[in-house]
Amino acid sequence: QQKVSGTVTDAASGIPIMGANVIVKGSTIGTTTDFDGNYQIEADNGAILQFSYLGFESVEMMVNGGTLNVVMSEDAQQLEEVVVIGYGTVKKKDATGAVDMVSSEDFNQGPVLSAQQLIQGKVAGVSITSGGGAPGEGQNIVIRGQGSLSLTSEPLYVVDGIPLDNEGVGGSRNPLNFINPNDIESMTVLKDASSTAIYGARAANGVVMITTKKGKGKEFRFNYSGSTTYYDPTDYVDVLDADRYRNLVNQIGDESAIDRLGNSNTDWQDEIYTQAVGFNHNFSTTGNIGGFIPVRASLGYTDQNGILKGDNFSRTTGAVNFRPNLLDGHLKIELNGRGMYTENSFANRDAIGASVDFDPTQSVYDMNSPFANYYTWLNADGVQNNLAPTNPVALVNLKEDTAEVRRFIGNAKVDYRLHFFPDLIATVNVGLDKSNSHGRTIVSELMPSSQLDWNGSLSNYTNESTSKLFDAYATYMKEFGKSNLTAVAGYSYQSFENDNFKYDSEAEEDGNDFEFIDKWKSVLLSYFGRVNYNFDDKYLLTATLRADASSKLNPDDRWGYFPSFAFAWNMNNESFLKDSNTIDNLKLRLGYGEIGNVNGLGDYNFLTRYNGSQSTANYQLGTGFYQTYRPEAFNGNLKWEVGKTFNAGVDFGIFDSRISGSLNVYYKNTEDLISKVTVDPFTNFSNTIDKNIGDMVNKGVEMELNLVPVTTEDLHWSIGYNISFNDNEITNLPDQVEVGDINGGTGNKIQLHKEGYAPYSYWVYKQVYDQQGRPIEGAYVDRNGDNKINNEDRYLYQDPYADIIMGLNTNLNYKNWDLAIVTRANLGNYAYNNMASSKSYEVRATENNILTNLHSDYFNTGFKSITESNLASDYYIQDASFFKVDNITLGYTLPEFAGNTSLRVYGSVQNLLTLTDYDGLDPEIKGGIDNNFYPRPRSFVFGVNLDF
Amino acid sequence: CQDDLDQTPIDPDSFTEQNVFASPDEAKGALAKLYASLALTGQEGPSGQADISGIDEGTSQFSRMLFSLNELTTDNAVVGWGDPGLPNLHEMNWDANNDFTTAMYYRLAQEVSFCNSFIENAQSLADDAEVGYYIAEARFLRAFAYYNLIDLYGNVPLVTVVSTELPEQSRRSETFDFVESELLEIQDLLKDSQSNEYGRVDRVAAWALLSKLYLNAKVWTDQDKYTDAVTYANKVLGSSYSINTNDTNGNGTAYDELFLADNDTNGAQNEFIFALNFDGNQSRTYGGTTFLVHAAVGGTMEASDFGVNGGWSGLRTTSALVEKFDASATDFDSDGHPVQWADMRAMFHADGQNYDINTIANTFTDGYAVTKFKNVDAQGNAGSDAGGEFVDSDLPIIRLADIYLVYAEAVLRGGSGGDINTAASYINELRQRAYGSTAGNISAADLTLNFVLDERARELFWEGQRRTDLVRYGLFTSNSYVWPFKGGVKNGTAVDSYRDLFPLPANIISINSNLTQNTGY
Repeated sequence: QQKVSGTVTDAASGIPIMGANVIVKGSTIGTTTDFDGNYQIEADNGAILQFSYLGFESVEMMVNGGTLNVVMSEDAQQLEEVVVIGYGTVKKKDATGAVDMVSSEDFNQGPVLSAQQLIQGKVAGVSITSGGGAPGEGQNIVIRGQGSLSLTSEPLYVVDGIPLDNEGVGGSRNPLNFINPNDIESMTVLKDASSTAIYGARAANGVVMITTKKGKGKEFRFNYSGSTTYYDPTDYVDVLDADRYRNLVNQIGDESAIDRLGNSNTDWQDEIYTQAVGFNHNFSTTGNIGGFIPVRASLGYTDQNGILKGDNFSRTTGAVNFRPNLLDGHLKIELNGRGMYTENSFANRDAIGASVDFDPTQSVYDMNSPFANYYTWLNADGVQNNLAPTNPVALVNLKEDTAEVRRFIGNAKVDYRLHFFPDLIATVNVGLDKSNSHGRTIVSELMPSSQLDWNGSLSNYTNESTSKLFDAYATYMKEFGKSNLTAVAGYSYQSFENDNFKYDSEAEEDGNDFEFIDKWKSVLLSYFGRVNYNFDDKYLLTATLRADASSKLNPDDRWGYFPSFAFAWNMNNESFLKDSNTIDNLKLRLGYGEIGNVNGLGDYNFLTRYNGSQSTANYQLGTGFYQTYRPEAFNGNLKWEVGKTFNAGVDFGIFDSRISGSLNVYYKNTEDLISKVTVDPFTNFSNTIDKNIGDMVNKGVEMELNLVPVTTEDLHWSIGYNISFNDNEITNLPDQVEVGDINGGTGNKIQLHKEGYAPYSYWVYKQVYDQQGRPIEGAYVDRNGDNKINNEDRYLYQDPYADIIMGLNTNLNYKNWDLAIVTRANLGNYAYNNMASSKSYEVRATENNILTNLHSDYFNTGFKSITESNLASDYYIQDASFFKVDNITLGYTLPEFAGNTSLRVYGSVQNLLTLTDYDGLDPEIKGGIDNNFYPRPRSFVFGVNLDF
Repeated sequence: CQDDLDQTPIDPDSFTEQNVFASPDEAKGALAKLYASLALTGQEGPSGQADISGIDEGTSQFSRMLFSLNELTTDNAVVGWGDPGLPNLHEMNWDANNDFTTAMYYRLAQEVSFCNSFIENAQSLADDAEVGYYIAEARFLRAFAYYNLIDLYGNVPLVTVVSTELPEQSRRSETFDFVESELLEIQDLLKDSQSNEYGRVDRVAAWALLSKLYLNAKVWTDQDKYTDAVTYANKVLGSSYSINTNDTNGNGTAYDELFLADNDTNGAQNEFIFALNFDGNQSRTYGGTTFLVHAAVGGTMEASDFGVNGGWSGLRTTSALVEKFDASATDFDSDGHPVQWADMRAMFHADGQNYDINTIANTFTDGYAVTKFKNVDAQGNAGSDAGGEFVDSDLPIIRLADIYLVYAEAVLRGGSGGDINTAASYINELRQRAYGSTAGNISAADLTLNFVLDERARELFWEGQRRTDLVRYGLFTSNSYVWPFKGGVKNGTAVDSYRDLFPLPANIISINSNLTQNTGY
């Protein structure tokens, strides 16, 4: 034997590779390269040395003499194939669960401000809906349908190993706003229980793992990207214009109503919406400090106006990542720090409804108005009529609602590969997520108001939330012949603490309590273990167990144990397929897992607590006012809601993976569903409590298909298509629960949770129509035939969630040109048109000694008055299936724009086209109740990307 | 770190049992809640942290629901709003899912649970004399909740300790007996007449409630207890409470002072045996008198006359109530409808209002408006909320005038211990106040049962008594007495007699198999 030494370098950059593994083939002798890529090992001449490094193609070379220098090249394919799972990574081919990764090159382009938008339409079974068109607006992700009734259905977000508290941050529009989408390397969606089980309690609705970009390479490279976006309101709510409205009032109004008509023609919606612009700048650098500390740093700045006047979102983000590799690769340290500062100016959304209501014959200004000359419906006392809408232009101009949010997320992760036992890696990960917001709302004293002593108002608030994480786990990896074993065992502690404060000037003027404090804390403690066993790259087995305890549950029911098992068979590695020229990949997967959920459950439910009244709810005894103490509803028996999921899937790739895809079927049964249900108040201190009461089933099929019809040196064309079917049914619920608050009347609701139906099904009367097909006011089908129309005649009809969700996108690269198109379709989702139902009845036009505009649907119905049953007519439940062209982006790249610098310029249109039969403004309504919706603008983006 | 799982509330507004029952002074806050839960709706005021969920918070206030169930279902009131379940009340076609019948059951059952918990916890402090009174008052409030439960629902569970076990249903008569025995027992444990602080009950309240209980005994238990009604009415009449005769605003009658913003100090308080306290700044709700004032204002009425910033254009009355004052009408409009009355309890606004109702929904101008409740004091100053939103006026739940009428009715129904001439003199005391003179006085011969019923309408309309009165007279559902839109028909029609009782909430029945629904529902 002799000493063999040499240097391992990266083919692309010529930079030495540190930490590469060098093994004498067929033996257990091995080493790793040092900071300078050097290694030394004992081996015979003629022996084969294997060089491997994550993300690089492995190299085998024969020893011939004492020096052996090796050049390794990056394996793009392999990089892509490593997917992030909880507490580790796994090669895609070794994954056993339903896991989808979207990496940066497949992300949606255009004006993307939030992480969720990057993968909208890209992953089967994942529905992403924005709350509306406001800048920085929250995006709701639902994986495989609604998972719970009272608890949250949002997935768990894990950023670089830190599970986020998804309770949300005050003054912020979107819990993922802290992260600059440009810093994201990949997003991985864990959909089935066998892959999410390692996250236990909070992963019941799936997990979205976000991996950020890391430092790489030897030399520093820089990137600048910038874009300008122009936002254009596309459509308004269909209301009567001034002339039609004037005609109507002349027809139906009495003399005093006709006298109230003005002479103007005001399109109030046009007055409050505007075209808007936004800017986005990102700068990042990646490189290596001192040859052993890979580093990446980035700065981002976004400034975007909304189409509703006064709306602005600006965000500055900074992120830095160090990954020093020490002790010959035995000690890996990863430090992430991420800071965000956003300034929000929230436009006054009350103007959205008011602009629909306000009489179009009045002008915006009236010289006689005491309220800054804004036209106002005054009553005899010279204040605003308390039943009148407020001038929409005054609403947007005279209220200031701003907030600044600061958030820091940092973690330090240390991996130590034991010197004396290199098969074992010990990991400690410590994280901190701290956010802090300051907000204030100032309403001018000139704002029209019906308060007699109105002199403006000021309130401000601060929210502080702190989440601390401590993870410690050990990973054991060993190969025995054809067997390969990876085992992980660990402990996790996470605490969540919230501290909120609010000040209210009006309360202070009234002599009431004017400072309010709200605090709570919860703790989650867990043990987890996972074993991955791989035999001959053919048979893969994963078993996971996680034990979670939450402080939200009573000490006796606090621990939940969540096991999962999965099996996969790489058929393409079997002898009968190994040599196939057609099939490159064929994997069958089977999995079962159980996951708990208490997300969104209130704290301390099991304790007897008394709630002290605020000073506006004190009670007079004698001459004094006393703070009252109310015993709170309690439930000492709350336990984990448990979701049990079966998943079966197949992954395939044929013709050199020119056609690839996957198919999954799943069946999820959620047991001990926590729901807010009726309790007999004789037995508790309220009429509702959160209780483990029901069961719900989600079942579905999802398919993804990726095609590469053409790939040549000059031309690359790929098509991605995904489709998912989901069926959601409450299978056991003793009590029916009314949900879905609507506008119109006081306290009306339109949806119902009921056994045998999808959650949030619409609960409506069956409308009767005349021969011309017009609905007859007050006429409904007497479904139970008792000659009475009452609640018993209401039935469940459709629900807001799509039965089928599809995404179709394509990328075309021709020489230096690139074109991307993203489209989506939802089928079988229904919406309740609350704008039409609450604003299109005749009496409304002239009631309350004012004039109020009507929704144009009045001409379809002719309804005279608003009643509980009109509001609950199935006439207003409309098919909101849609096809949307979300995004078209065209780019051109100059690879050698100036020396080593590449430049890409692109243009993009977002929200280009919507095809739908739905009558409202937008068929894509989160929760299905279309009411005062902030319209999504169409946007046009121009951007550049410089790499140097 | 395992110990970290034992988290306890860190919010400054959250308290434990040990905090609340640490001393009699602290425990008074828990007692205040027992009163407040009949007047207010949650811990924030006017809305937020509601006591009852699943219904609009303002709507869930006790006296607002009492108005909904006992006035809107009768000839006294209609409302034009389309809130869920609300139009069904006047149409008399409510079902077991009705939001109002359901929420009232919740409110009263919750009050029972609050009282049970208080009584149990306060025992540890019971050696303090004041705490002894607290407990007696909590027992009164529990009895009062059950009094309403047996009136509205009949057979309900009788629960006297806090337990999560599903209760059994008790017969109406058992609960009646419980209310009776509790009131009899606490009459000596409560403070003397008017020796308690304002807003807290004394033993006269127990007597008054007993007299009202006995008056209804025939309907509720099929036992005639008119003599007991007279006995306890007599105790009330002999107490220090007195009919308000201070016409502080000088408009010729001392009646309207009962419903003004300063009715806790203008003399009216001497007539209030049990009242709910409101305050425009410190006790805010969208129910209570805030509701009664705002909801009744609309049309050509000026909100400032009522001390508020605007009306809600909801409540009106039917011609059937207006007719009760026909004998004293002094002026008529061109259609011959009365617009002025010598009996100044006829507090109606006729200008711009149609006498007859054609449309109830969304039409404030059909039916006379009612001007009884105001948020101004005797000098015409608006109440303490400078914004004009929340009302100061307290709301009498039991006032002495009611007991005068109980006395008269019990005597007429054959109760012994009283006499018809005394009864007539009591009625004349009320009528003299109403007319500002003896012009409306009656003779003992005029005093019939039907006269008393009409007099109750005149004296007590919109005070939450009407349905109970009509049921006692057998007129609530029957064909013998109809009013506009009774049964959903313009001229009025009879409805099934099972509607004399409201249904138990359908969802309570579905979770507690011990309960049997009232007949007909």
